[in-house]
Amino acid sequence: MEEYPEEMRSPPVSLVAVAGCPELHQTVSTHLHSLQPPINSLALPDLSKISLLIASKPKDDQIPRPNPDGILKRDWLLKHRTKIPSVVAAFFSSDCVSGDPAQWLQLCSDLDNLKAVIRARNIRLVLVVVHSHSKDDITEDRMLALRKRAEMDSKYFVTFAQNDESELKQSLHRLSSIFAELANTYYRDEGRRIKTRIEKKIYSSVELNVRYCFKVAVYAEFRRDWAEAIRFYEDAYHTLREMIGTSTRLPAIQRLVEIKTIAEQLHFKISTLLLHGGKIAEVVMWFRRHNASYTRLVGAPEAVFLHWEWMSRQFLVFAELLETSSATIQNISFLVGSAERSLTEWEFRPANYYQLAAQYLKEKRTSLEVAVSISETLNATDSSAESVVPSTYVGQFARLIEQGNEFVMQPLTDEEYIHYAISDGKRFQDSFEIIALLKKSYDYFSNLKVHRIGAFCGFQMAREYYGVGDFSNAKQLFDGIASLYRREGWVTPLWEVLGYLRECSRKQSMMKEFVEYSLEMAALPISSDTGVQSSRKECGPAGPASLLQKEIIHNEVFGFIGGELGLTETENKTDLKVTGDNPLHLEIDLVSPLRLVLLASVAFHEQIIKPGSSTLITLSLLSQLPLTFVIDQLEVQFNQPACNFIVVNSQQAPSGASGVDSHRVETAPSLSLSSNRWLRLTYDVKPDQSGKLECISVIAKMGPHFTICCRAESPASMNDLPLWKFEDRVETHPTKDPALSFTGQKAIQVEEPEPQIDLNLGAFGPAFVGESFLVPVTVTSKGHDVHSGELKINLVDVRGGGLFSPRESEHISMDNAHVELLGISGPEGEDESDQGVEKIKKIQESFGLVSVPFLKCSDSWSCKLEIKWHRPKPIMLYVSLGYSPDGDDSTAHKVNIHKSLQIEGKTAILISHRFMLPFRRDPLLLSRTKPVPESDQLTTLPLNETSVLVVGAKNCADVPLQLMSISVEADEDDIGMSCSVQHGSDRLDPAIVVPGEEFKKVFSITPKVNLPKLRLGNVCVRWRRDSGTGEQPGSTESSVLTKQILPDVNLELPSLVVSLECPPYGILGDPFTYYIKVQNQTHLLQELKLSLADAQSFVLCGSHNDTIYVLPKSENILSYKLVPLASGAQQLPKFTVTSVRYSTAFQPSNAVSTLFVFPSKPHFKMVDVGEKQTESLAAE
Amino acid sequence: MIVCVAVVGHQNNPLYIQSFTDADDALKLHHIVHCSLDVVDERVNNPKKSGPTLNETFLGLLYPTENYKVYGYLTNTKVKFILVTTDLDVRDADVRNFFRRFHAAYVDAVSNPFHVPGKKITSKTFAETVSTIVKSFGLSSAG
Repeated sequence: MEEYPEEMRSPPVSLVAVAGCPELHQTVSTHLHSLQPPINSLALPDLSKISLLIASKPKDDQIPRPNPDGILKRDWLLKHRTKIPSVVAAFFSSDCVSGDPAQWLQLCSDLDNLKAVIRARNIRLVLVVVHSHSKDDITEDRMLALRKRAEMDSKYFVTFAQNDESELKQSLHRLSSIFAELANTYYRDEGRRIKTRIEKKIYSSVELNVRYCFKVAVYAEFRRDWAEAIRFYEDAYHTLREMIGTSTRLPAIQRLVEIKTIAEQLHFKISTLLLHGGKIAEVVMWFRRHNASYTRLVGAPEAVFLHWEWMSRQFLVFAELLETSSATIQNISFLVGSAERSLTEWEFRPANYYQLAAQYLKEKRTSLEVAVSISETLNATDSSAESVVPSTYVGQFARLIEQGNEFVMQPLTDEEYIHYAISDGKRFQDSFEIIALLKKSYDYFSNLKVHRIGAFCGFQMAREYYGVGDFSNAKQLFDGIASLYRREGWVTPLWEVLGYLRECSRKQSMMKEFVEYSLEMAALPISSDTGVQSSRKECGPAGPASLLQKEIIHNEVFGFIGGELGLTETENKTDLKVTGDNPLHLEIDLVSPLRLVLLASVAFHEQIIKPGSSTLITLSLLSQLPLTFVIDQLEVQFNQPACNFIVVNSQQAPSGASGVDSHRVETAPSLSLSSNRWLRLTYDVKPDQSGKLECISVIAKMGPHFTICCRAESPASMNDLPLWKFEDRVETHPTKDPALSFTGQKAIQVEEPEPQIDLNLGAFGPAFVGESFLVPVTVTSKGHDVHSGELKINLVDVRGGGLFSPRESEHISMDNAHVELLGISGPEGEDESDQGVEKIKKIQESFGLVSVPFLKCSDSWSCKLEIKWHRPKPIMLYVSLGYSPDGDDSTAHKVNIHKSLQIEGKTAILISHRFMLPFRRDPLLLSRTKPVPESDQLTTLPLNETSVLVVGAKNCADVPLQLMSISVEADEDDIGMSCSVQHGSDRLDPAIVVPGEEFKKVFSITPKVNLPKLRLGNVCVRWRRDSGTGEQPGSTESSVLTKQILPDVNLELPSLVVSLECPPYGILGDPFTYYIKVQNQTHLLQELKLSLADAQSFVLCGSHNDTIYVLPKSENILSYKLVPLASGAQQLPKFTVTSVRYSTAFQPSNAVSTLFVFPSKPHFKMVDVGEKQTESLAAE
Repeated sequence: MIVCVAVVGHQNNPLYIQSFTDADDALKLHHIVHCSLDVVDERVNNPKKSGPTLNETFLGLLYPTENYKVYGYLTNTKVKFILVTTDLDVRDADVRNFFRRFHAAYVDAVSNPFHVPGKKITSKTFAETVSTIVKSFGLSSAG
């Protein structure tokens, strides 16, 4: 597009001329230029200069010449844009107008001259009188005379005032609107004038028709009448197209060149205008038509390159047009959706056109090369191309001949023209142009992520690079493209690309790449029937993709790696060869394209073996190379280097020296690999170390200095061969045993040696909450020495599952605190301090680690784990011993042995308690009389009275326990003062409590301080396992203290206390006194009603019913005399005390009012009652 | 005239590609078919662009090159059919008809129990059927 002249590329702008008063020109032209649309102005200092600018018409336009020399004049457009104004504005200062007659005459003559000049061209005239002073006053007569003289409408007679800013602005505004109007009129009239010629067909030749249409269109453009411009450009274009067969004006080749050049210009104009109007779809359609109507106009065979050049330029210019206006085309998709279906989105993308431009330029280059070679063989004189210049008509060339003092244009013959064109064409380097075009296209497609089309552009680009000898650029591009084709399995294009790559690396003397590309090509899945390409024109340096070609490449590369052939076939001295100084090593990994060339599949026949035993390994090799080849030596490498071995071909001379001496050398009957046939080799492997044994790679050696390292693959997880996986062929298994092909692995697990150590956990039976439970652990060696042994202990909640690792235990410690690993004590006789500092000992709540000292065979070592339960909970104890049977510390040799034991944690002692009131003494506690439904269930005790607390300790365990002591201990001293707790002896003789038995102890409690709530303290039971049986594996000697908090009690001051007093027993017929004592502890007088019922076993003396008054803080005693009438346990007479004030009644229970009556006075043997008291209670 | 037909598999790999020209432009046709896959991808990934062709197997004109027109077809198993023709004036109905018959032939070929899905189609019968369909292309419109 840049090669078009400026006047073509930009829309035309109206032109006016300003003459006279040069001091105003700057202001006026700046103002005009800033208008919308702008107006260009020519400034002339003097009116007389106008005739210099506008020369009189060279020829009379009214009588057109019958046969013009060309279609369009080269400078016509430029002339109208820069030279011929549409309007001339003559500026006169008011002094001149109103001045003396001489001035006036001068003015008139200038005006006449001007009129004469512009009338011939219909240029409009504007007269401007510049008022230099405000006072200036031109007489009306003068003005009128001037206007008459100029023969013009008063509208175009302007006075220009410049006194102040606003006046100046107003004047400029008026002036510019007049200019715009007149310019418009001028261009319209000019256009109309020519249009009538077209309409009336006043033209003698088609050339003129085209020219007129072009002119009308340009005038319309001046007026910004785009629709008319397009219409006439199209008319011109169509007329021009029709000319092709008919015109005979010029020699054939030059005629076509001229027509195409003009068609190009017209097309450019139309496209620009259409794009300007935003009609994208129409532009594309128009371009397609343009392309279609000219693409076949190849022209004479010797000038065919001109056609391709022209075509290429069409595409390039169109691409540039689309690209520059693409900012306005945001929504291509929208356009496609609405436009007709015949357009695809690709036609809106400039990249497409760049690519095609490159394609045509390539055609041009080819045909130019042919033309050049022909012209060189003809050996025409070079001078004929000289002094050829573009002639006055667009698209024509002529020879400039100096005749005397002036130059004359002389028409050319076609031969001369072709010669000129060829020599002109030779100046350009088309390849770089092509690369530049393709690069644009490539970048564009890459940005759009359109990889395949981008790759095609890249391929063409790389071919150009290859053509100009820029191999590194070419190789880089080809590599990218090859990976795309490999991925998608497009073999034929891949073959082509690889062929180029092979040649690139050959040219760059890159030996390794050359071999890699050659091998890959030879292994491509190309069967004999695909790619029957007869000629070499289309295909690259690799030749046609065929089986034969593959074999040629195969032989060549094997000759090369064998050191027989050099890299280049020339007799170059510096030819590269594979030699001892220059060895070649290839790596084939799991994603390499060279897997086609050599694939190594390795399968162990077993999955797990014992250390020291041997297993079979099958090594399978597959190659897709077309011809059979022989491997000299195979080296199989493992992750345990001791297992590495070498396979040599038994047919060859035993060259064991070539391998490393330490490795095992096996022989194979044949190591030849034929196309698509597995070579299967099976050998023994005997690993010594435990752990994983993995085959890493197989190194094949071919020829003296060439090796391929092939990564080993497991048959079970082997990927399909790239490219070949799409071929319809029989799949074969890498191993003979098909099951092994599906499951075989390249790695095998070598087991640890069998542990010869006993690990014994000695504990049994449940553990009890609170005690330190000891678990003896014994390590006994039965054949292995124990080196650097480590004992790991884990406590795991049985319900919780998983093992607690040391790190996790921090989080779980809250839950797991119920059971705790307290410590690990060493073996008997060994003190903690004796264990050296280097011994590891690490104990956490649920994890422990302790080191085991060196043990010889049949030695043993033991320790005790001390575990404490805080809550009843079953626990899993895991103990694992890791050691190495040999002296070295390598972890590979570690042997591990695991043991686990479930231990229940149980509660041994269940503590219960009960409060009782003293015998036959009943305080009135008001809170007891009132039923309070949801009151706290606290026991209420009378204040200042002695209550009885019975504490029971029940053995819930399975073993007998010894109770050491039971006591009630206050938490805090101050509360301890508030009540007194009394009991018998603090220490018990260790009482044996068998399972299920309950031991009770009685305490008496007297609260002394009036508190609403009294904390009584803890019941502490001290116990231990009964050691009388002799076997007590887990328990310690020390006793266990079990504590339980007694519930709080309420205290209340009783208002009345009723107590009964009677002797402990009665004797038949012997009278005794029965006292009923009522104690009033209040400050109020208490009225009590008392009634006594008769009892049949007693004779009663006293009142049956009575009302008594008890004074405050005093006691009333009622006494009855009773005589027992019957022996045995007899019911005393029942009495009822009713307190009027509290509306409560008291009646003693049956147990309280029962008395044993002896028939006669009994005789008791008084023995040590105080000593045996506890025993009798315990037996209760 | 149809110059090339192709069947392209899931991984955009060619399953069957056959050119019907005497000239040695097989490689060029390979490139054209391969490039047209980009357009198929774009059509399939941006269905809004294809508008009314949503859920339709026939993808329409993909890619007008200078001398060829490329049409596409996508089966419901996401296998692509590509047709390259030199005819500049092709009726959509003809192309649709062609693809319908081609699809039927393809279904027959892959229904062969000995055919492994995803592998190249090497059936001779298929090749013959395709060549018949190709020869009869456009005749219905003329008749």
